[in-house]
Amino acid sequence: MERRISYFKQKGDSYIFAASLGLVISLGMVVWIILVILTRGLSFFWPRDTVLVKLQNDSAYLGEMWESKTVYRVDAEGKEHKEEQFQLKIGNRDLYGRDFIWLTRAQVSEESDPTEAVTIERREYGKFFGFIRLVQIGDERFEQPGEILIEKAQEAHRLAIATRERIENTQEDLNNLMQPLANLQREITLLQLSPQAKTEKGQQKLAELQEEATKQEQSIADEYGILNQELERLTLQNRSIILTVATAEGAEKEIYFSEIVRFFQPNMMSGPAKAWIYAGKLWEFVADEPRESNTEGGVFPAIFGTVVMVLLMSIAVVPFGVMAAIYLNEYARQGTMIRFIRLSVNNLAGVPSIVFGVFGLGFFIYAVGGSIDQFFFSDKLPEPTFGTGGILWASLTLALLTLPVVVVATEEGLLAVPRANKEGALALGATRWQMIRKVVLPNALPGILTGLILAISRGAGEVAPLMITGVVKLAPTLAIDGSFPFLHLDRKFMHLGFHIYDVGFQSPNVEAAKPMVYTTALLLIVIVVLLNLVAIYFRNRLRKKYRGSTF
Amino acid sequence: MLQKETKPKHYQKVIRADRWARRLITFGGYGIIVSIAAILLFLAYQSLPLAKNAAIETLFTFPASRGPAKALVVGIDPYQEIFYILDESGYIQFYKVAGTEPVSQAQLPLSGNEKILCAAKGSLASDLFAAGTDSGRIITAEVRFQLDYSGEGRVVIPSLSVKEVWQIPAGGDTLPNHVEKLAFSRNEDGSRFYAWVDHQGALWVRSYDADEEVDYLHPLSQYPGESSVTALTISNHGENLVVAAADGVMRWFGLKDFEKVALRDEWSISNSPVTALSYLLGDQAVAIGTGAGAVEVWFPVRTPSNLMKFRQIHSFRSHSAAVAHIYHSARNRDFLTIDGEGAAQLHYSTTGKTEVQFPRPDFPIAAGAFAPKSDGLLFVDAQKRFTLFRLDNPHPESTVKSLFGKVWYEGYPGPEFVWQSTGGSDEFESKLSLIPLIFGTLKGTLYALLFSIPIALLAAIYVSQFAPFRLSRIVKPTVEIMAALPSVVIGFLAGLYFSTLFEEYLMSTFVLLIFLPLFFLAGVAAWRAVPESYRMKIRPGFEVLFIIPVILIALQASLSLGHPVENFLFGGNFQQWLYTTWGVTYETRNSFVVGFALGFAVIPIIFTVSEDALSNVPKSLTSASLALGASRWQTVRRVVIPAASGGIFAAIMLGLGRAVGETMIVLMATGNTPIIDLNPFNGFRAMSACIAVEIPEAPVGGTLYRVLFLTALLLFIFTFVLNTLSSLIGERLRKKYARF
Repeated sequence: MERRISYFKQKGDSYIFAASLGLVISLGMVVWIILVILTRGLSFFWPRDTVLVKLQNDSAYLGEMWESKTVYRVDAEGKEHKEEQFQLKIGNRDLYGRDFIWLTRAQVSEESDPTEAVTIERREYGKFFGFIRLVQIGDERFEQPGEILIEKAQEAHRLAIATRERIENTQEDLNNLMQPLANLQREITLLQLSPQAKTEKGQQKLAELQEEATKQEQSIADEYGILNQELERLTLQNRSIILTVATAEGAEKEIYFSEIVRFFQPNMMSGPAKAWIYAGKLWEFVADEPRESNTEGGVFPAIFGTVVMVLLMSIAVVPFGVMAAIYLNEYARQGTMIRFIRLSVNNLAGVPSIVFGVFGLGFFIYAVGGSIDQFFFSDKLPEPTFGTGGILWASLTLALLTLPVVVVATEEGLLAVPRANKEGALALGATRWQMIRKVVLPNALPGILTGLILAISRGAGEVAPLMITGVVKLAPTLAIDGSFPFLHLDRKFMHLGFHIYDVGFQSPNVEAAKPMVYTTALLLIVIVVLLNLVAIYFRNRLRKKYRGSTF
Repeated sequence: MLQKETKPKHYQKVIRADRWARRLITFGGYGIIVSIAAILLFLAYQSLPLAKNAAIETLFTFPASRGPAKALVVGIDPYQEIFYILDESGYIQFYKVAGTEPVSQAQLPLSGNEKILCAAKGSLASDLFAAGTDSGRIITAEVRFQLDYSGEGRVVIPSLSVKEVWQIPAGGDTLPNHVEKLAFSRNEDGSRFYAWVDHQGALWVRSYDADEEVDYLHPLSQYPGESSVTALTISNHGENLVVAAADGVMRWFGLKDFEKVALRDEWSISNSPVTALSYLLGDQAVAIGTGAGAVEVWFPVRTPSNLMKFRQIHSFRSHSAAVAHIYHSARNRDFLTIDGEGAAQLHYSTTGKTEVQFPRPDFPIAAGAFAPKSDGLLFVDAQKRFTLFRLDNPHPESTVKSLFGKVWYEGYPGPEFVWQSTGGSDEFESKLSLIPLIFGTLKGTLYALLFSIPIALLAAIYVSQFAPFRLSRIVKPTVEIMAALPSVVIGFLAGLYFSTLFEEYLMSTFVLLIFLPLFFLAGVAAWRAVPESYRMKIRPGFEVLFIIPVILIALQASLSLGHPVENFLFGGNFQQWLYTTWGVTYETRNSFVVGFALGFAVIPIIFTVSEDALSNVPKSLTSASLALGASRWQTVRRVVIPAASGGIFAAIMLGLGRAVGETMIVLMATGNTPIIDLNPFNGFRAMSACIAVEIPEAPVGGTLYRVLFLTALLLFIFTFVLNTLSSLIGERLRKKYARF
């Protein structure tokens, strides 16, 4: 026995087991987190079956089963009861005021999956769970239950959506028509407010403008009338395409078909049909605008904002970072000073991102942007143009933040260029710049690319500095659009990372928004992980090359 | 020379390109140095004004032309163009700044040779004052400054409007009653409050209810008793009256109820009698000046018996003569004390600091006033000479002591570290102690490191020393991916998923903490029980395969035991037990959750750097150790770890730096309440999260804005030092083992 214990101690195998414990825990956590996000992020769009639940107190709910848990309750006598609880998504926010309820098994008297139950996704108030009662298309009414009703509903929906599109087009035409006049009106108002209005010259100009406005008004009056009539007609038409649905308890509700995104009967759908809906919703997620204060719809503006921001950042950081790395490696005399600079660059990577944000806010926005406003946009003051957060300032802030990443990665690439090649080029009479251009840069390209990709991945995932330099929860316009000058550097933008924070923590209905956040998080992770995998691949190739050349 | 002549033409171009490239790249290289320095300098430059002391500058001083009559009230318009003076004969003269003749004048409706004995201003927002005369009348009047833009530029036109003339109740004898001392205030509803002492020494209060248009008169002569009243003040919203008597007894009356004046507190100041009194902005603190020249600030503090009692909070630099006047700012807790010999001092109530001592004039100062924006001070002396000072005091509330020390704020039971940057009203005082934020940051870091260091180091040791190549080839990229996970995702999971999960399985987590080592030991014992011949069949480095089932079993056991344990030890509800036994409220987003999430973010950093250091220990050292007969673990314990200890330290430093600066995780996974409490079941507010939340709302150039810049600067310096430290260690380590 004595011998065994000392042997146990001596060999210390148990410590090796302990060490492996650390590895298993950290890997386990990664797997856990990825799994949580994967399952929740991907399952959100899958059309779930609906359940009709009748309770002991005669109330009834139709909804999707979400979660279940076991709760222990102690009663007055100190005896403990085990309760099975489940969470039902009951939707119908406009009727119930909440999306989810928790019920205990004991409350339920009857549970069924009615095949005719329909799930309706609406533009407002979220989902509606119920039963179709009546479809109205103008004067036609269909209320015979069965296949026909669904077909009619689908037909009505197609009609309503088409009309809706026409309404939107007409609205756009109308806006285009009014645009010159609106610009003119704005000019007039500005002039009236300015001190210039008091002078004679100003008065004269004002009169001219007003005359011009009247003229324009007359010239577009006819077309305006036609378009407006068309708009009214279409709107009225869409108001007559109505779906009447009933809740589980029989309360009826009228919904305009034009307000419905899609509807389906999950309990009688086949797998492929569900997959089709799933694909449609996934597409909606990446390609559509958000609805319902970001808790539904898509995240397209956020994706777009992230991409534009990252591009601007790359344009700023790559040349600067590469230049700095080349300077440090090829031009500067190696010594204490360069060592110190290299150290500082490395350390910059460890400085908290929020500090960069504060710098960006104080320096870029208030100092630089404020001055730009003073000089170039003084007519718009006190309304700031560049003196407030915007995509340019956010990109520059992130460029500063990712500078060390690019410098370090580029330096690694530069070091991988064999000395022999460089000296060979110089010996053949090349100037230093020729040598760098023809020998060093092509060979260091993987390093530069690694740096760029890592910078992009960092930039895409960073939120804290953006929060204070120009990200908003809902940007009405994109940073790039069809109106002059096409790229609007002063605009605020949306960002995937901030979207997660905002929807998950600032939205009024967090419970309903949660699935959306998981999906957005999944999207962000996929982007970041893919970028990183590419960077790792490049770097490994680079390192192999490096090894090969030194030995 | 010969060579140069034969050079082809394009050579010039090549040389030129080379020169330009050199210039450009050198410029880029210097750019990076400049930008790093710029960040540091800019942050410092923005936070530096916090340390600036109050500065005064004499704008002008000149003798007023008219009259030896004693000045009672002075004031100035917000643009500091016109100022006025009310003298005892009832004249109000308006002067243009830098002009010696009055631009206009007006007179209060006095009769015959009636004289004004005392006067008091009564509003924060306008120049409203009340004057008491020797025939027992109280005249309420307002000086208005109208702006006229019709001509060239802006012209300030002053005017006087008399609001009310009111006769105080007659005294016992036939002589008209005097108003000897007066305090006055009008609140935002328009209700007015007067307190005065008549020439028989009786104290009166009159409240005028503007809603009901009713007057209430309260004789309070029973209170000072035999002793005479020496000073009195009414708070800016008219709810409180403080009266000092010659015997050193101070009394606090509540005027909130129009129909009844309530004595709320009574206390005595033992030393010399109070000669000047003034409520400060915020209506809590009272500045007191005594006959001996002492200046103190008192405010009510809640006692254990839930009563409000006045306490002395600060004392300031004393005057050499009796304090004659105290005036307070309408913008902050600044107040001005003037003594009988003409010396004046500016103090800031909250910090207890005397900020400015004014140059002593030739004659005693008769009256003074703050400019409406508190950016100037006006004095008039006994010879009716004016002096206007520009006051530059943008951040009086921030001193080293108030940022890093305990401060006794109004309404608090004692000096405390408080962070509360915004409040409901204009009179709210920001409380900007950085200590709760620094504490919060350190608390989060502590829990994160407690969680991450053991796991990361164990994993690093295993991967670098024991794991087969095939395993480490998977592990390293995985850890890199772990490092690249955006912190907003981790923060969101922590705040919305782990926090609720942790709350639900709280007991199971605790049980797991005990079970994991227990099961682990049991597993090892079981392993040892297996005959060696079988054990040898498993290749070294595959311990992982053995440990996974052990963990799973421990996990399952704790999940099923969590509830019974909670029943057995804590009566079925741990949170309730926690509250009743320790008085600790359980917050869903607490430090445990943050520690876990932040730890998750820190693990890859510690792992990568220490794994690097451990792998770089020269093979010759480990081989030598193994050849001498040491076991694998002995080699690691005695050779590898000591050799790599510097690198491991560097790794921990880097992890510390990351945990300190991480923003999104702490922002999303805690409740962000700035409290100082090491308890793991509640949250905290970290410096980084505080910046992120508050800086978008902070007015540019304001104190909060600058304090947040200071916070950022502290974070910058702290992480920069940590990183430099770890880089230097890493470099030394590389040099040390370069020779092997």
